[in-house]
Amino acid sequence: MIEFRQVNKYFGSFHVLKNINLTVKQGEKVVIVGPSGSGKSTLLRCINRLEPITSGELTVDGIAVNDKKTDINKLRRDFGMVFQQFNLYPHKKVIDNITLAPIKVLGVEPKTARETAMFYLEKVGIAEKADQYPSQLSGGQQQRVAIARGLAMKPKIMLFDEPTSALDPELVGEVLDVMKTLAREGMTMVVVTHEMGFAKEVADRVVFMDQGQIVEESAPAEFFANPREERARVFLRRVLNH
Amino acid sequence: MLDFHILTKYFDWYMEGLGNVALACLLAIAGSFVLGTVIAVFRISSIRLLNVVGVTYVEVIRNIPLLLVVYGFYLLPPVFGLSAVDGFKSGTLGLTVYTAAFIAEAVRAGIISVPKGQSEAARASGLTYLQTMRHIILPQAFRIVVPPIGNQFLNIVKNSAILGVVAGFDLMYYADKISSKTYITFTPYLFVGMFYLVLTVPISIGLKLLERRLSQSN
Repeated sequence: MIEFRQVNKYFGSFHVLKNINLTVKQGEKVVIVGPSGSGKSTLLRCINRLEPITSGELTVDGIAVNDKKTDINKLRRDFGMVFQQFNLYPHKKVIDNITLAPIKVLGVEPKTARETAMFYLEKVGIAEKADQYPSQLSGGQQQRVAIARGLAMKPKIMLFDEPTSALDPELVGEVLDVMKTLAREGMTMVVVTHEMGFAKEVADRVVFMDQGQIVEESAPAEFFANPREERARVFLRRVLNH
Repeated sequence: MLDFHILTKYFDWYMEGLGNVALACLLAIAGSFVLGTVIAVFRISSIRLLNVVGVTYVEVIRNIPLLLVVYGFYLLPPVFGLSAVDGFKSGTLGLTVYTAAFIAEAVRAGIISVPKGQSEAARASGLTYLQTMRHIILPQAFRIVVPPIGNQFLNIVKNSAILGVVAGFDLMYYADKISSKTYITFTPYLFVGMFYLVLTVPISIGLKLLERRLSQSN
């Protein structure tokens, strides 16, 4: 479904992504872990061209993401994206945050869009907040709205960019629970996170990145019990031992 | 000094002038807001040509006197063989074009202050650049720049006195007329000041209220 072949990316002279090869199949849950600045978020943001790649090939369902002929707005309909800082629209009510793209991008009738939005709000457990503004919600609630907003586009793939990193510790669980439900239902997911428990429980594959490279790629049981690479061992010792 | 006789005797002229000032201001406020927003979007556009147009517009227009801009509309068309533009129209156009440059700068500042994540979220959901501007970025930018834009609207009202210079049938024009007719040099203009306050004070108060409401809702 998503395929990186020898992808490189530079920010000016800084080599952020080095020879990335990665395939994500339909229904797979791939969790990307690694130290800060290792290029995890950049890798994720390349998938829907929030960041352009410098060289190599990146395709989604066989379509070249960076090809000038590719209608990027159309391609982006297939992705739901959840950001670290939620990025809800502060001037719009929760319900309008969710219905905007379905109405404007997919051309869904407003009434139908509202029903779909309510369905997903129900699913993430905050239907009663539909008519409030984002600023009236807790961080965890805001992030659940953001997930509902992504789902309302009925995407094929959900991208999560450190979805719990900006949350107070006691609110992390509610967001992870929603993500676990999604995973169980068979959604294709690419998740950048520092939540090792989530990776262990949900991932089909864990991708470990360091200094712009994919250092190790393996099943979670194997990765956490027996990391092959020294850098992965050092990283795991650091994040798990406190 | 305060000879109310002048006010009552020439009341119709004052009303005519007030009406024209109000109309010119309404047109210029609406026009400069739209034009200024378009220029602001040009200025932050990644398309180089639009960018150059936006920058040139702002830098030229805001760095020449308003009177010159108005004269441009008033005096230039006949030079190029076009039909003359009357004083009211050229004054109103001049005000619009001139103020748009300042509004463009304010709106641009507002756009820049909207966090980048907002447009990323919108674009990631498949909205086009223009849809993102219209539904996500500009509504937030406008809220931020209500105070500076409000100032520009007040400036439009006050600067509208320039219509008097090009025979725009505004308050100043009629005050000149009254003054030359009665040989009273000061009082006719005193009433003009009063009428301007009648226009500007409500706008000032309205802007304060709007600011307060917006700061509460966020």
